Amino acid sequence: MAGQAVALRAPSPERAVERGQWQMAFERFRMHRPAIAGVIVLGTLAVLSAAAPIVSPYGPEKNDLLVIYEAPSLPHPMGTDSLGRDLATRILYGGRVSLSIGLLAVTVAITVGTVVGTLAGYYGRWIDSALMRFVDMMYSFPRLFLLILFGVFFKGMSLPVIVTVLGLLSWMTTSRLVRASFLSLKNREFVEAARCVGARDRRIIVRHILPNSIAPIIVAATLGIAGAIIAESTLSFLGLGIQPPTPSWGNMLKDAPAEMNIAPWTAIFPGLAIFLAVVSINFIGDGLRDALDPRHVVRGG
Amino acid sequence: MGTYITRRLLQAIPLLLGISVASFAILKAVPGGPLAAYESNPNITDEDLRRLEHTFGLDQPLPVQYLNWLGKFLVGDWGYSFVSHQPVLGLIGERLPNTVYLMGTVFLTVLVLAIPIGVLTAVKQYSWFDHLVTGATFAFLSTPTFWLGLLLIIAFGLVLKLFPLGGMATLGMPFDPIDRLRHLVLPVATIALVQLGSHVRYLRASMLETITQDYMRTARAKGLSEGALVVRHALKNAAIPLVTVVALDLPELFVGALVTEQIFGWPGMGRLFWDSATRSDYPVLMGILAVSSALIVLANLLADVVYGYLDPRIRFS
Amino acid sequence: MRALSIVLAAIGLVAAACGPTTGGPTTTGQATASAGPVRGGTFILALWQEPVTLAPHYRNQTAANVAARVVTEGLSRTDTDGNYLPVLAKQIPTTTNGGVKLTSDGKMDVNWELLPGLKWSDGDPVTSADIKFTWQVWMKDPNTISRTGFDQIDSIDTPSDTTAVVHYKTVYGPYQNNFVDGLLPKHLLETVPDISKHDYNRKPIGTGPFKITEFVAGDHITGERNPNYRVAGKPYLDKIIFKSVPSREVAVAQLKAGEINGMWNLLEAQTPDLEKLADIKMVITPSPSVERIEMNTAKNQDMTDPSSTHPVLSDINVRRALIYATPKQSIIDKLLFGKAKPGTSPVSQGWASPKSLTQESYDPAKAKQLLDQAGWVPGSDGIRSKAGVRASLTITTTTGDQTRERVEQILIEEFKSIGVELKIQNQPSSVLLSGSWSGGDPRKRGSFDLVMYASSPGIDPHSIVFQRYYSKNIPSSANGGNGQDYTRFKNPDADKAIEEAGSTLDLEKRKTAYATALKLVNDAAVIIWMYERAGIDAHRANVVGWQGNVWDNITWNTEDWYLKPS
Repeated sequence: MAGQAVALRAPSPERAVERGQWQMAFERFRMHRPAIAGVIVLGTLAVLSAAAPIVSPYGPEKNDLLVIYEAPSLPHPMGTDSLGRDLATRILYGGRVSLSIGLLAVTVAITVGTVVGTLAGYYGRWIDSALMRFVDMMYSFPRLFLLILFGVFFKGMSLPVIVTVLGLLSWMTTSRLVRASFLSLKNREFVEAARCVGARDRRIIVRHILPNSIAPIIVAATLGIAGAIIAESTLSFLGLGIQPPTPSWGNMLKDAPAEMNIAPWTAIFPGLAIFLAVVSINFIGDGLRDALDPRHVVRGG
Repeated sequence: MGTYITRRLLQAIPLLLGISVASFAILKAVPGGPLAAYESNPNITDEDLRRLEHTFGLDQPLPVQYLNWLGKFLVGDWGYSFVSHQPVLGLIGERLPNTVYLMGTVFLTVLVLAIPIGVLTAVKQYSWFDHLVTGATFAFLSTPTFWLGLLLIIAFGLVLKLFPLGGMATLGMPFDPIDRLRHLVLPVATIALVQLGSHVRYLRASMLETITQDYMRTARAKGLSEGALVVRHALKNAAIPLVTVVALDLPELFVGALVTEQIFGWPGMGRLFWDSATRSDYPVLMGILAVSSALIVLANLLADVVYGYLDPRIRFS
Repeated sequence: MRALSIVLAAIGLVAAACGPTTGGPTTTGQATASAGPVRGGTFILALWQEPVTLAPHYRNQTAANVAARVVTEGLSRTDTDGNYLPVLAKQIPTTTNGGVKLTSDGKMDVNWELLPGLKWSDGDPVTSADIKFTWQVWMKDPNTISRTGFDQIDSIDTPSDTTAVVHYKTVYGPYQNNFVDGLLPKHLLETVPDISKHDYNRKPIGTGPFKITEFVAGDHITGERNPNYRVAGKPYLDKIIFKSVPSREVAVAQLKAGEINGMWNLLEAQTPDLEKLADIKMVITPSPSVERIEMNTAKNQDMTDPSSTHPVLSDINVRRALIYATPKQSIIDKLLFGKAKPGTSPVSQGWASPKSLTQESYDPAKAKQLLDQAGWVPGSDGIRSKAGVRASLTITTTTGDQTRERVEQILIEEFKSIGVELKIQNQPSSVLLSGSWSGGDPRKRGSFDLVMYASSPGIDPHSIVFQRYYSKNIPSSANGGNGQDYTRFKNPDADKAIEEAGSTLDLEKRKTAYATALKLVNDAAVIIWMYERAGIDAHRANVVGWQGNVWDNITWNTEDWYLKPS
């Protein structure tokens, strides 16, 4: 792992080494074929979703009662749903919602987790104790139950609400990673060196320790996005997440049990979208893990 | 170790209390309530609603409501459902065995399958088997459980008509193990496949890490056969982190896979929770939350204890 | 490794050994050559909602009513035309046959005579003491859901074992409805301190054709033939089992496969599938439930001023335009497969229904014309405004209801084309329909623009008309959130008509009075009557005796059901 800089070099010595480290990591990532496949698939999904208005001639919420439940055909490559809306279009627009929820929820989780982990790891002692006690309590909350309670009781979970709730229920892993990293790094020589030079706490944290803690956070974040997408889709499937008519991959499946019989494509395609996005993310995460931590790359026996 | 356990158990008490307060606050923090179901009944007047509010104790200040609940809860009176008037303990007791039955089968299936598959893919790394399993595991762990359930129902229930569409057993028939088994297959598969995905990967990574360790090389050099190597040394050590993961699965055993129970009409705890949540049946919800959070805390403790027992490097401070 | 192959082999064995299910309903019994009732057999009825309690004074779910109907009976019942017929009583007391006596001090006495020789399913005799006990429990038990009707009773005398005289506090029109729900057995429940904790909730004792012998929560409820049923030779069926299924779709699949004999409450969307099948029969019954969109003519910004007015909806032209812009028939045809009728009033069935009442039909050109004339000018984005107020409204309904969500989306498009912006703001039914001021029900609080939900009056419409259209029933913080006049409709002539209807026993007079009041409501254009839904149930073709009933549950005559041997 990073951080093996020699103590008595120029100020921020580990930076030069870092740059080399990142380049090597990038090389390793490129060799991980599933990860590259994941990047391509996810990238395509993301670009298409972002460019949805350009890509698709239909509006995502335009009803046309004359063409309800049409099977896939040329004008509607994935068929239409119960209100005659083009399914492919809704999947693209739904991608915007589902992917951004994944990204934003993880951002919240990472931010909160990093702050908590930093405070606990760097300052230690009673702050650490108290915060870790809090983390334990958060872990002990039955997560799915809470999500459902929020969904049932809130006046319809809008995007900001879902992002906040999902983020606030999943920051604990990041905080533990950050804390562990800080605990192991804060007494290293390069930190001593920085202190000798007179750097204040904040500078040490932000410019010296955090950059070296990033790797596991990145991996956890990537996998967290996958988790958030699945969580949102489950909530929306139950009718507790994003409310119609705004499409999200999960809420497009909400009526799937009823529609499976008459229009199976409405049940298959949105789920496929979730599947492709999440598999891609998982492959990318796997690639990142291999790339950023050489210990995990196992050469063939 | 004994003092460690005692200390952790004592620490658990304020933790659980905090969770129950927070849960209660969340339940009450937002509008809505158990009286919503009565609205569509044309015979119920406002007076009736107010009277019911009083009977349920909903017109009292929140701290009083919580303390009332807590006081009775601690002496074993978990209250009665607002909706069915059944005792909460009784309701949970009715549904718990069904959930344990389902999730226990899942648990065993995953355990029985994950270990051999995980070990094999690690030992035969980069073989066709490994690639196949890797592909499958990534696929399954990336699938939302509810979608997998729906696909399985479509494929095996509707199209191929191999398995029933839901429920625990066929009605009207006397107890028949084959019938029970048929009803178990799809719900168990739905949950187990996804769990297998992540557990197999976890075990594989863990095994790979262990196999390349120095002490393994030493054992090989000493002439130990590959089989003994794998089982006696690698597996035991690789299984340690798996224990943690498995122990943390335990609360699932009781709390159940809610979505799966919904889709398959399984009369378990998950469905009870969902029904109670949609009806704002606070006493039942508090009971279920208490059970599940206690189980999570206990499972964490169990995982730590077993981990410490298995890994002699850990000492309890 | 070996473990894996063993498991795989086992699965293969099991799959191979399994053929189609052979469980399910059986038809036994002697079949006569001609088509006569066949005695015997088990009927399985699927309920996609799980009954939680069967006690008459606690139960609130339709599914619970369906299941309990085979066990608990009352003194009277209603037929599909809304007439009352005697069940446990010899006849329905009326002023004509002397059963109802109006006293000089403005009160009334009703005399109920029980049939001779009635027995509870456990063998004890049914007496007038049970009638009195029922009233007492209904009033005393804090868990009773509703005391409507019973709270009008002053006292009950039981001069003989089979006679009960009910003394009312006033002249109470709907007296025949009082004892419809179910008599409570005094001999069983008299000494029970809290009935809500008694097994009676799950296994009630009644006089119906079946008695509950098994209640497996979340799975099924079993009823077996009541040996003490008052009609000899009935019920024909040995058993009736109410099976809990996770959804309507599963019930349909099981009905098609013959695993169940009947199912309750289908959706219109499922009818095309079943219509084509020869071995399934659908029973379509008009229901008194009317789906409507209510408009808020006031808007309580600070929740305390009932005299505040809505910036957009207080203009009757806007309201009428919205009615013109609603494609009711199209919605019915496309979303409900034609299985409903456009609505015209809240009382769609029964003696009080004002059959000649109408409401404007779909005419978007007329809508635009009205708005133009009223001075609502379209802006650059097509949305109209007047005097700086933008024609932008929210519509609220229950989350998770597919049909309602689809209706909302249709209305968004339609209203946009006449220049009114519509936004969705749905809420879960536990909030929206809580009926509680303190619970924040937006209808009570007036914090909505348009709200869509369904409601049905009882056989006697007084309760609903009074609650909804009488001006003193506008909920506000001043009156403690009392009343259900959500549209904030206020009309002194309507008030007078409603008062008149509530103070006489003369059905003709009441009918005319209700018609007057409801016409005034429609003239005010405060409600869009969307549609009157039909109740749709289905059963296999070999089921005989099943008949729909507008006012009663589908299980109202299970004593007449039997299964033709196929």
